[in-house]
Amino acid sequence: MNYRSMVLVSGDPRSMERGAREIYDQFQREINALELENEVSLAWMQDVGRSDAVPLAVVYPEATIYGPLKLEDVHTIVEEHLYKGRIAPGLQAPVRELSGHIAWISARQGTLPAEQRIILKRAGLIDPTSIEDYIADDGYQALANILANMQPKEVIDQIKASGLRGRGGAGFPTGLKWQFVASTPGEQKYVICNADESEPGTFKDRVLIEGDPHAIVEAMAIAAYAVGADEGYFYVRGEYLLAQKRLRLAIQQAEEMGLLGEDILGSGFNFKLHVHSGAGAYICGEETALIESLEGKRGEPRARPPYPTTNGLWGKPTLVNNVETLANIPPIMLNGADWYRGYGTEKSPGTKVCTILGNVNVTGLIEVPMGITLREIISIYGKGMAHGAHFKMAQTGGSSGSVIPSTLQDTPMDFESYQENGVSLGSGALLICDENNCALDLAIVLMNFFRKESCGKCNPCRIGTERAYQILKNIAEGVGTMQDLEDLKFLSKNLIELSNCGLGTTAGTPLENILQYFMPEVEAHIKLKVCPTGVCPMSGKKAYPKTKLVQLEQA
Amino acid sequence: MVHITIDGKEIQVPEGTTVLRAAEQADIHIPTLCDHPALTPFGGCRLCLVDVKGARTLQTSCTLPATDNMVVTTDNERIREARKFVLTLLFSERNHFCPYCQVSGGDCELQNAAYEQDMTHWPLQPNWNKYDLDASHEYFILEQDRCILCRRCVRACGELIGNFTLGVEERGADSSIVADLGVPLGESTCISCGACVQVCPTGALIDKKSAYLGHEVQLDKTESICIGCSLGCGIDIYSRDNRLVRIEGNWDASVNHGVLCKVGRYLPHEAENWDRIYTPMVRKDGKLKAATWEDAINAVADQLKQSSRTAAMASTRLPAESLYLFKQLFGDKLQADTVTSIEEGANTKLAAQLAADLGSPFEGSLSELEKADCVLVLGADLVEDHEVASFFIKRNVPHGTRVISAGCAENAIADIADVVLKPSGDNYDNLIQALSAALADKPVTALAKAAGVDEAAVKEAARILAAANFPAIVYGEALLKNASLNTLKALVELGHLSGAIGEQRNALVSVKGKANSMAAAQYGLEQAMEISDEQAVFIALGDDCPSQKLIKRLENVPFIAVQASYSSQLTAHANVVLPVTDWTEQEGSYLNLDGRLQTAVQPIAAPEGVLTNAAVLEKLAAALGYHLDAAGWKDELLKRVPVAIITE
Amino acid sequence: MAKPKVATDWMAGCAGCHMSLLDMDERIIQVAELVDIRATPITDLKRADASGVDVGILEGAVNNTANEEQAHWMRDHCKILVAFGDCAVFGGVPAMRNFFTVDETLRRAYIEAPSNDASGMIPSDPELCVQTRVRAIHEVVPVDVFLPGCPPDADAIFYVLVELANGRMPQLKDNNLLHWH
Repeated sequence: MNYRSMVLVSGDPRSMERGAREIYDQFQREINALELENEVSLAWMQDVGRSDAVPLAVVYPEATIYGPLKLEDVHTIVEEHLYKGRIAPGLQAPVRELSGHIAWISARQGTLPAEQRIILKRAGLIDPTSIEDYIADDGYQALANILANMQPKEVIDQIKASGLRGRGGAGFPTGLKWQFVASTPGEQKYVICNADESEPGTFKDRVLIEGDPHAIVEAMAIAAYAVGADEGYFYVRGEYLLAQKRLRLAIQQAEEMGLLGEDILGSGFNFKLHVHSGAGAYICGEETALIESLEGKRGEPRARPPYPTTNGLWGKPTLVNNVETLANIPPIMLNGADWYRGYGTEKSPGTKVCTILGNVNVTGLIEVPMGITLREIISIYGKGMAHGAHFKMAQTGGSSGSVIPSTLQDTPMDFESYQENGVSLGSGALLICDENNCALDLAIVLMNFFRKESCGKCNPCRIGTERAYQILKNIAEGVGTMQDLEDLKFLSKNLIELSNCGLGTTAGTPLENILQYFMPEVEAHIKLKVCPTGVCPMSGKKAYPKTKLVQLEQA
Repeated sequence: MVHITIDGKEIQVPEGTTVLRAAEQADIHIPTLCDHPALTPFGGCRLCLVDVKGARTLQTSCTLPATDNMVVTTDNERIREARKFVLTLLFSERNHFCPYCQVSGGDCELQNAAYEQDMTHWPLQPNWNKYDLDASHEYFILEQDRCILCRRCVRACGELIGNFTLGVEERGADSSIVADLGVPLGESTCISCGACVQVCPTGALIDKKSAYLGHEVQLDKTESICIGCSLGCGIDIYSRDNRLVRIEGNWDASVNHGVLCKVGRYLPHEAENWDRIYTPMVRKDGKLKAATWEDAINAVADQLKQSSRTAAMASTRLPAESLYLFKQLFGDKLQADTVTSIEEGANTKLAAQLAADLGSPFEGSLSELEKADCVLVLGADLVEDHEVASFFIKRNVPHGTRVISAGCAENAIADIADVVLKPSGDNYDNLIQALSAALADKPVTALAKAAGVDEAAVKEAARILAAANFPAIVYGEALLKNASLNTLKALVELGHLSGAIGEQRNALVSVKGKANSMAAAQYGLEQAMEISDEQAVFIALGDDCPSQKLIKRLENVPFIAVQASYSSQLTAHANVVLPVTDWTEQEGSYLNLDGRLQTAVQPIAAPEGVLTNAAVLEKLAAALGYHLDAAGWKDELLKRVPVAIITE
Repeated sequence: MAKPKVATDWMAGCAGCHMSLLDMDERIIQVAELVDIRATPITDLKRADASGVDVGILEGAVNNTANEEQAHWMRDHCKILVAFGDCAVFGGVPAMRNFFTVDETLRRAYIEAPSNDASGMIPSDPELCVQTRVRAIHEVVPVDVFLPGCPPDADAIFYVLVELANGRMPQLKDNNLLHWH
């Protein structure tokens, strides 16, 4: 059925208390009365954040939000908006009374370009506990088509042609990774979904899993078929209890429908999925540490080579992909590689889910095409800097991303352009800081995160992050010296070069960025004993014993 | 084979070889800390970094597999800076007080690595955080100040021993080596094997007994074998000024590859607390008084001449050469009523009989145990009596090795077993037959019932055995106690049915008893000693400890002569005591449980006035007017059909 | 050419390094022929004159403000500064005091020790120097040569002195001079 409009009524507990049921029924009556039932679809909606304007209704495609609704408003909306095609006056919800996902929809109204929603197409709009909802929106179609008509190699070729790159932070070409695993000889192979999302400020994977778990389940099945695996694991961060619950339910539902398990859809393809919970370690987001953790050992990254594609879980060829990467798979397989390439840039096609946080007017989750600039994101989706402040720096990609100064605000956000400028997109978190934030303080917060999350296996990271933190704290207390900056540069250079895994190597990057772009501010802490933004304590007391790194040439 | 170039040298190595091992082959030295040839590579210390052409960052050579046409540089400016950085950080992390550390001055791999990089000071000072000292363990200390978190100890405890007591708690800068879930070592599941102490590169794990008694260059090293049990593990004995300092496992020994148990590593030090006998003694007027060798020997000889019933018993800790002399004197010449070993054949007689019947050895090699993917242990308490053999099993369990434990008494192997069978009445006959029946798809019910075990358990055990590619069967004293020749025949059949005995391999092994249990068997020293109206009993005890049972049995014997190293109730009760060397003061040959003939080398000079076991027997023979052959010990050893093939 | 001038001094140390220096036995005569020993704690003159010396040798760690002054004085009055012994090189045994607060250590020394009676009290005269964290010399002033050991081997000390006397920087490489204990 091709509906031209859609009405979603909020069905969360608070809305229900205030008569959402009656409103929903009234909508149905009004729609039927005007014989619009074949043109206008009506459905429930669960996620309204902490909005106060409930019960509310969203009318698509205009994304108009009406609320708080009274029973008598329904007639007006159906007649004016759905029948006559104009916004019903006086009934729209005030923006300040909206929050969460619903606020987004509001933000996009009017002259704003609509988000290009490929990955977040359904999250927040369907009932994630209903497999029927997913199926109704072409769910499991891709899998069925593949099992019936495609060979594994064809699947991989299509993913390669799409140009999809890993969305967990590394940006490795997904199709190529699939090919590595597929071409490694071996009877037993595994696919793993890395849902250990622990980058501070990143919660895109959580929303994806909680809002649209079946999409990831289907993607895992497709991946397994393509590489020749018959068993898969979701490694979900321990704190994401709801996500784990939704996944387990989704797997159970899929199994009941014969979409997982033995002989899926009669094709002879077997695939069993498990959900494994992490236990509070950022390092387990690193793929080999994740595998170690799955095997029941300490989550410490392995020495590479060999890589998981040849020697992964239990020593078998293993494919590890991020949740967001996987979310792209069903759309690509349904619509084709060329369609996907219609979004984003040539080298970085597709969209990226970003989280905007910090001192902007509207924060939250957005899906934007690769290649958009930071300035556009802030002004369009963030609705500008909050309280009229000015953009100073952004922390991209969580802790292992980079710190972007204002000079890079207009650089396209794709893997290449950022890399050329010595910065990285990382996981897509964007922490926007204004002139009231201190660059040194940001460095301290990040380094603190790294030293606490370091696994402790290799000494450059285990000891280096601790030392760098101590030096930074001393500077923040106003007892830093210019020698300390030399020591920091020395530590971060060696952290980047000598560490065993990404945690160590990217611990140095934000520090280097800050020293590169905000040196005057850092020097003010040292030479003038002043924190320009007034954030750092500057107590004059040593936070940690001062020991300096005597240059090794003297040794 | 892959071709790799290191520092300009072209070499060929088998695929899978790491760059570090390839460099070692080419005599190129790369400094390491967390690496150890007996352990899996870790790649954490970052000292072994090398420059690989085409790689963006330096790579750890200890983990990097060599690939064809790889070009490696092990020494350049970048690498030297990296090494200095790594060492700088390590010294700054904890509190390395070299001045008073016992390994400082040559035995500390961390200090050596720093000196090798021409570092004479720490570019970065430590924060002087406090770290703990755990001295609760009886034999060693864990000094956290000196730990560099190389994880060698954790890996050794897991990979070599299979005990998994040591682990790492917390993460990052809070990481710390810990026993179990954070208990003092003295209260932990540690079994005092000392592997961790042996592999520790710094002074973090220090042997209590030998601390400060000398650096390795000041000590004398003797490669020998342990005679704590029938395994005969290879050891390195460190001594100084004629005193035992420390025993370590010999990494190159074929029996144990470097691991030892508490009995071999630490128990020998207990002898320092025992009363040593330095002079012969003869009982006069009810009291033992010092005597000359001549008087003492004559006292024994006189008694033996006039005794109508004599029994002679030799400890299986004695070297084969001495056992040979013992057998000649008391067996061939004196024709004593009982000539036997202290084990009285309990561990060997039946098996020897079967070998004689079959006309050939029927047992296999202990090294099969190291590769077994399924082990059936019947009537042997490995952890208690032959602990190193239990390591071979325990450490493979995480790799999938299945264990079936069949024993009437409790034993520690049962804790890690997949199936535990407890046959009733200390009788294994029916159990063995039940297992064979299950393997051959024959009815099991009646046999299982007769054995007193659950039928389903028997079937499960058989299923596991059948599924194994390299099964092994180990049996011991408890099985032999109530066994008959038929029991052993059935066991051999089980071996064939299960695959433990096949065309290419034989993995059926009995653990025997003490060090020279097998040699005693070869010399026929297997009689049961009946004390009825014995007038004289001679015990060639050596440095063994007599059991309470033995002492009680000999209570009423009118004349007892003992050749022993240490005082005991037996020597206190004896009529003549002849002082002999202990195991470190003598050289001799030992036949281990699977037929390996090894030599225990003498590291320490015997005390003045004390003779070797062999010398005493020869003296006694001379006093009795007999001439004993010394040289033919080996020929005699090889005469009887052994239960396992004898190799040298 | 005039012989190079040498002065030594000690701070928070046990004087063992100087004893080890004397352990070079008759070679001290050789050293005296090569260098002009201006001042040491064990000779008559305790401090070199203001014209300074070529080589300053400092034993002991920096334990209080008086030691700091000594370290600064020596650094300002010599061309090449040698950190002599483990205390000077990294803090040595005195650095174990860093595990406790200054207050705790002063209390233990002046009030709680078995040799104190009830009248024990912590000296507090304003003219007295102030205890600080125990530091290696290089945490206070730049050091040119590090001579580790507790004490350093007499052979190592002899080697360092002879090299410096001949205008060369000593290279204490991985050899027997370092593995002395």
